[in-house]
Amino acid sequence: MNTSLRLLALTSVAVPALFLAGCATGVESPSGVPVTEMKADERGFVSGTGVESQDLVTVTDKMARGVLAIPEIANAKQTPRIVLEPVVNETRFPISKDIFLTRIRTQLNEKALGRVRFLDREMMKTLERERDLKRNGQVTASADPSVVEFRGADYFLTGKLQGLTTKTSKGTSDYILYSFRLTDARTSEIIWESSSEIKKQGLEDAAYR
Amino acid sequence: MVNRLNSFSRVLAATIALALLGLAGCATVPERPKLRLTGDPIIDGNTYRAAAPVQDRALWDYRIAASALRAGQPDEAKLHLDTALPLIGGILANDADAKKARSLFSAESTKTFIGEPYERVMAYYYRGLLYWRDGQPDNARACYRSGQLIDSDAETTEYKSDFVLLDYLDGLVSAKLAADGSDAFARAQANAKNLKLPAYDPAANVLIFAEYGTGPRKYGGGEYSEQLKFFVKNSAAHGATLNVNGQSVSLPAYDDLNFQATTRGGRVMDYILGGKAVFKRTTNTVGDVALIGSIIAANNGSRDGDRAAVALGAIGLIGKIASAATTPRADIRMWDNLPQRLSFAALRLAPGDYPATLEFQDATGQTLRGLTQTLTLHVDPIDRDTVIFLSELKR
Repeated sequence: MNTSLRLLALTSVAVPALFLAGCATGVESPSGVPVTEMKADERGFVSGTGVESQDLVTVTDKMARGVLAIPEIANAKQTPRIVLEPVVNETRFPISKDIFLTRIRTQLNEKALGRVRFLDREMMKTLERERDLKRNGQVTASADPSVVEFRGADYFLTGKLQGLTTKTSKGTSDYILYSFRLTDARTSEIIWESSSEIKKQGLEDAAYR
Repeated sequence: MVNRLNSFSRVLAATIALALLGLAGCATVPERPKLRLTGDPIIDGNTYRAAAPVQDRALWDYRIAASALRAGQPDEAKLHLDTALPLIGGILANDADAKKARSLFSAESTKTFIGEPYERVMAYYYRGLLYWRDGQPDNARACYRSGQLIDSDAETTEYKSDFVLLDYLDGLVSAKLAADGSDAFARAQANAKNLKLPAYDPAANVLIFAEYGTGPRKYGGGEYSEQLKFFVKNSAAHGATLNVNGQSVSLPAYDDLNFQATTRGGRVMDYILGGKAVFKRTTNTVGDVALIGSIIAANNGSRDGDRAAVALGAIGLIGKIASAATTPRADIRMWDNLPQRLSFAALRLAPGDYPATLEFQDATGQTLRGLTQTLTLHVDPIDRDTVIFLSELKR
């Protein structure tokens, strides 16, 4: 075969290969990725530098353990009553704020075995309406409804999320400080405080920069 | 000689056939279903969204959210913004569509749409006011902070994070939450330049978010439309005034999206598209030169000339096909119902309903009669801020 024939033969291979490459470039998982069940504390393949489920689990586990170890809780003669106050978000990430306190509360309720009680202030309007119905004799009551039985808080548990962000041509870095504290309702003393910090960074594909 | 030429022809024909087959494979486009449209931008937007490719969904979410806000359907707006924001807020790396968009033979528009910075900022801006409306000012502040961060990678330092309202509102939230908003206020005032920003009133319970004018439009510039450009038109409305409860509340333009879109500077993707354009131009030139050479060689009449003609013809063919298949076109998908100008005012009003008029002014301060709106402001009797969204735009 002379040079021209070889060149043409090479061309006949190269041209389709070139087009196949053009068509196929970047097509990964063409059939998609089936739903994968993951643990809440696992890092998934879909992620950002913000607050994610694994952070929530890590932070709330630490906080629940911390609260249970406080002498005022562990050695209390009377079961302490705690009210949860909304977490303050000072980061750049909008979050579902109640989810942190909900998980801390459920963790404490599961692990504390009655050593602490939480007061359901979210239900106050409903509870007051029910009490009024009882006082008016519109529904039955198992105790004297005129006696105030709604309990006051011994402690307030709340938290704050604060963040620092750096963005350069090399990527975005987010540091988030999760801090929680327990405040004595009578004295305003902070009887316990703990924090957890998480830093993440990443760089977007050039197509988005 | 005849046999040899027949062999050449067969191989050449096979080359062309395979190349065409390759092109046909690339060009296959699924047939679009016929859509039933109603004229309602929200219903139609949802219809388009359902039929759109997955990578265009955020674009439709943006458009529907803006329409829903203007139609007084905040829940619909929230639904779509909450779908789009995790995409913007995450780090899009190892993304197959993005990789494809960077390749020579795929258009930039094959990547998942998240929009240019000013579009992403607006998604956060709108979500922020909805959070505030729901009594979550700290989450609203988070949105303003994320928005300002998105705007931080402009090429020129002067234009980095220069949205006035994002900093101003960030500081106002802090002031309302008994924190220090003075740094954010100072940044906002620096970006506002000659426009004097109102001092914070933490007791103001009615927050007016106003917008007017028509925002920027994208188009492709350059030989192969490889340059992302913006068409900006200065809208008639340069300012607005809200007359309510005997007060005349000034709503000047603190931010201008035309300015934001055109001051960002170059993107990393622009270099990639520029490279694609150079490849397209070069392969096309090589193809032209080789094909002309092929014709000259064929006219030479010698056996060597015939061989050279076939070889050059093949090179020319490869060059022309490669050039034709290269797609350097810039992505011009756009959030097409954005306003041009953004404004804000905070005032104190007791709970109740207030008749009001919203007037728009031109560059000389004259009221644009055809644009005046009469409305009723409802101030919530609850212990949180009332957020009111006013727009000149209808859809």
